[in-house]
Amino acid sequence: MRLNPLTARKLRRFREIRRGYYSFVLLVSLTVLSLFAELLINDKPLVVSYEGVLIFPTYGAVRLGGEFGLEGILANIPVNYRDLQRKFREEGGGNFVIMPIVPYNPYENSEVDGVIRSTSPNIERQHYLGTDTTGRDILARLFYGFRTAILFSIAFTALTYLIGIALGCMMGYFGGIFDLLFQRIIEIWSNIPFLYMVIIVFSVIPATFSIPTRITILLVIMVLFSWTFMTYYMRTETYREKARDYALAARVLGASTPRIIFRHILPNTISTVVTFIPFTVVAAITAITALDFLGWGLPPPTPSIGELLKQGTANLTTAPWIVTSAFVALVLILTLVTFIGEAIREAFDPKKFTIYR
Amino acid sequence: MNKGYRLVAVLGICAALSFSGCGQDNGGDTAAESAAQTPGAAATPDITAEVQEHYRTKISLPPEVWEALEKGQMTQEEVDAKAAAGEFPKFFQFSTPDQIPADLNWQDGSDLPAFASPDAKQGGTYYTWIQDFPRTFRRFGPDANGSFRPFILDDVVMQLGRRHPNDTSITETGFRYYPGIAKEWALDKENATVYVRIDPEARYSDGEPITADDMMFMFFLYQSPHIQAPWYNNWYNRKYSNIIKYDDLTFSIKQPEVRPDLLFKVMELEPLPEHFYKELGPDYPERYQWRFVPTSGAYEVRPENLKKGQSITLTRVKDWWADDKKFWRNRYNFERVHFTVIRDVPKAFEAFRKGELDRFGASLPEYWYEKMPDSSEEVQKGYIHKDVFYNDKPRPTYGLWINQSKPLLDNRDIRIGIQHATNWDYVIEKYFRGDYQRMRTNSDGYGEFTHPTLRAREFSVDKALEHFAKAGFTERGPDGILQNEAGERLSFTVNTGYQNLRDVLTILAEESAKAGVEFRLEILDGTASWKKTQEKKHDIAFAAFAVSAEMYPRYWDFGHSVNAYDRAFLPDGSPNPDRKIKPQTNNLQLLAYPELDAMIEAYRASSDAEEMKQLAFRMEEFLYEDASFVPGFIIPFYRDLHWRWFRYPEGFNVKLSRNVDQFFLAWIDTGMKKETREAKKSGETFPPMITVHDQYRTE
Repeated sequence: MRLNPLTARKLRRFREIRRGYYSFVLLVSLTVLSLFAELLINDKPLVVSYEGVLIFPTYGAVRLGGEFGLEGILANIPVNYRDLQRKFREEGGGNFVIMPIVPYNPYENSEVDGVIRSTSPNIERQHYLGTDTTGRDILARLFYGFRTAILFSIAFTALTYLIGIALGCMMGYFGGIFDLLFQRIIEIWSNIPFLYMVIIVFSVIPATFSIPTRITILLVIMVLFSWTFMTYYMRTETYREKARDYALAARVLGASTPRIIFRHILPNTISTVVTFIPFTVVAAITAITALDFLGWGLPPPTPSIGELLKQGTANLTTAPWIVTSAFVALVLILTLVTFIGEAIREAFDPKKFTIYR
Repeated sequence: MNKGYRLVAVLGICAALSFSGCGQDNGGDTAAESAAQTPGAAATPDITAEVQEHYRTKISLPPEVWEALEKGQMTQEEVDAKAAAGEFPKFFQFSTPDQIPADLNWQDGSDLPAFASPDAKQGGTYYTWIQDFPRTFRRFGPDANGSFRPFILDDVVMQLGRRHPNDTSITETGFRYYPGIAKEWALDKENATVYVRIDPEARYSDGEPITADDMMFMFFLYQSPHIQAPWYNNWYNRKYSNIIKYDDLTFSIKQPEVRPDLLFKVMELEPLPEHFYKELGPDYPERYQWRFVPTSGAYEVRPENLKKGQSITLTRVKDWWADDKKFWRNRYNFERVHFTVIRDVPKAFEAFRKGELDRFGASLPEYWYEKMPDSSEEVQKGYIHKDVFYNDKPRPTYGLWINQSKPLLDNRDIRIGIQHATNWDYVIEKYFRGDYQRMRTNSDGYGEFTHPTLRAREFSVDKALEHFAKAGFTERGPDGILQNEAGERLSFTVNTGYQNLRDVLTILAEESAKAGVEFRLEILDGTASWKKTQEKKHDIAFAAFAVSAEMYPRYWDFGHSVNAYDRAFLPDGSPNPDRKIKPQTNNLQLLAYPELDAMIEAYRASSDAEEMKQLAFRMEEFLYEDASFVPGFIIPFYRDLHWRWFRYPEGFNVKLSRNVDQFFLAWIDTGMKKETREAKKSGETFPPMITVHDQYRTE
């Protein structure tokens, strides 16, 4: 692919801004890693070798204890691979189990000394950040929660931009009655407080919907109430670009309206769009965390950073590790995104030596 | 009388909630004030004429007529016609003292021991908390059933008499009562009539004397549609057949059927001040929203002691008339009870820890073991005392209520499978740390009326799988959940309104997955979840009924087919194919069996306690076989953390108490409060006090 020399220069400048660039690399790798979270943090092992056969249970169906020669009650219930690993080790022989780095899934309640409660970080038990109030691994919940949040915010950004850009461009390009009408609609629409709307809508949605469905509904509501801000920028940008000679030239040459908007005007307004992206991502992560914190976000027992924060604040003195982990994780993610945002803004700035303060 | 069954709002620590506003403690003032506000406009309503008309015309329908109406065998028009023909007796009757039978055996409970502590000191302010500001001061009608109600009604008003909280024996005449507003009472068992003489000293907090007229008025009010409380309308129409006034202080109340608990249904009534409710009308909920009802009890709410949304203070009634009565002496010791609204339980705990609150209920293990363990500094230095008190009373029914009208759940094998797939023992052992106990049946704690040997089914994957297999669920799907040949998954929604107990369900769901059944959790707010359950839209509900200390368990509410469906059966006894589910009743399991109905009807009609016991046992066995209630846990105690100046009687509390506040036996030692505050500064310590009071422990 041949890049526009201007774009190439912007990318080069982005790379030169060390802080933003490394933040970007870090965040992207975290996101990619989180897509394979099942291989890193899971109660299902990477590999089981049982009587000479290699089994890879990570993405497979649940297996019962009977398949691994367990007897009695254990034969009929889904196998606990950590116990199986211990058993194989004690037996010696050729059987083995290789567990992921964190051998817990984000839902299971593990007990300590016969009691399900919050325990402090413990390397020996492989609870690297400790457990929450019902004995679930915090690192597992954070990582899976991060995955949901980041995927959610990417989808959120994409959708709001799609609607915002399309409508904003149309308003700017067509102008007149269309512009006037939509501007009024947007003014009214954007005055509806979205947080309350989410709370109201979510209080009537039955929990019988599956968790992915509920997340999708949450996404749709948030998008519905958040696309408006983008239209303002796109509208003014389009207004300006529309009056430029190249746009007029394209029109004279007989280009269709969609072609003028998407091929000519949009690429010239892209810098506005791009510089906003990281901040939209930040807003989305903050919003979903806040909703979870208030108890109106993802349904239990879905892992989420907001839910951990809530538990943490309720147990500040007895289990400080909960709030510490959740807080540090949240700050880290938001800082990374903000660094990236700053770097993009600077890279897309035509004046090389401007400093934003 | 309280509404017998209420949903248990929250667990242990925050058993209290909601109410608000500015009360009027004087009906006369209010009338004058509202008249002044609307000069020339519509005059203040006056209910007097309506009351008199009601007294004149109200008739009492026999139980069989009610039943016929309910089953559709009789129409309202037919009943009206019969009433016009004078076939039914009058509800309100007036008579003279010489009509009182001479051979009555009057009782006044004076042979019972007092139970308050003679060491109690009067005075001081008790600082405590509520989670929500109350939504009304009304005692009934919309929103009145909030968690602040105990402090203006249930635990504070005197009633005609109160059941003795330690002597729980059952005599010839039923429970043992000590006098409240009544001075003495007599039971005429044959005629199902209780005679009561009101204590001539009895006064409302506004100084007005309490009379038999207030008792008559109570029936008028509870039968009135103005109060918008259908439960009251139904109960006071059907459970009583007449009230006869003999003189200003003496009256009798007759019930339609001779039952072992005749006394209970009369003694726990509370007369209502007729002068206060003068302005009653269709606008009752708004008009009386923030008016404090003059009380017979020790505490009133004065308008100046309210900060809406923030705090409420109860103040002791000046020269309370029952101050020196044997059973009321040394109780209600605090001069003031100050409630701060704190919405977060953890925040309330921190306020307690700082000494801003005097005590904190710690029945949840989290607070007892983690946040204030025995080893914590305040406990070890003797500033904060820890007490565990085992009570003995009917238990709230925490468990899973299975809706057997739903597909799959109508199969008994699946229900039994679910029983075996629900690991309550694990929750009790690991999460509640073995403190709580497994519930056996849904009527535990009724003493002799509780089935002696029945136990809930144990968790067993093998047995669960066996029963699921019988229902055709043999194969596990890729996620470990069982499927049948048609590819249906064995998956059910479990809804609850107990935010505090969400972890319990999370653990149960993890465990049940081992047996191949999926519980999808639906954690709603209390009202939303209860509404769903009452409309019978649940698959499985995790809920509990609060039960008052009644003599015997109720089965009609929970098990009779009239509470499950409209016209459950055809005349030949077979299930009606067009039957409709009946919402807003307590038959959450949709039980509809003619043989169970027959037992319930026999039980309801019986006047013999022994026969009722046998029937109760047979019904419990029937319900066990039906397997649509999974008994959960009971909490056999309550636990309290309190500063050392908050004092309790020896033995801590009474047998029937449901929480610390119920009987108002504690007191504040202001001297000790000062001493403790100073000791905290100087570092002086006291012996630590961690006490278990297990004198009433049953097992």
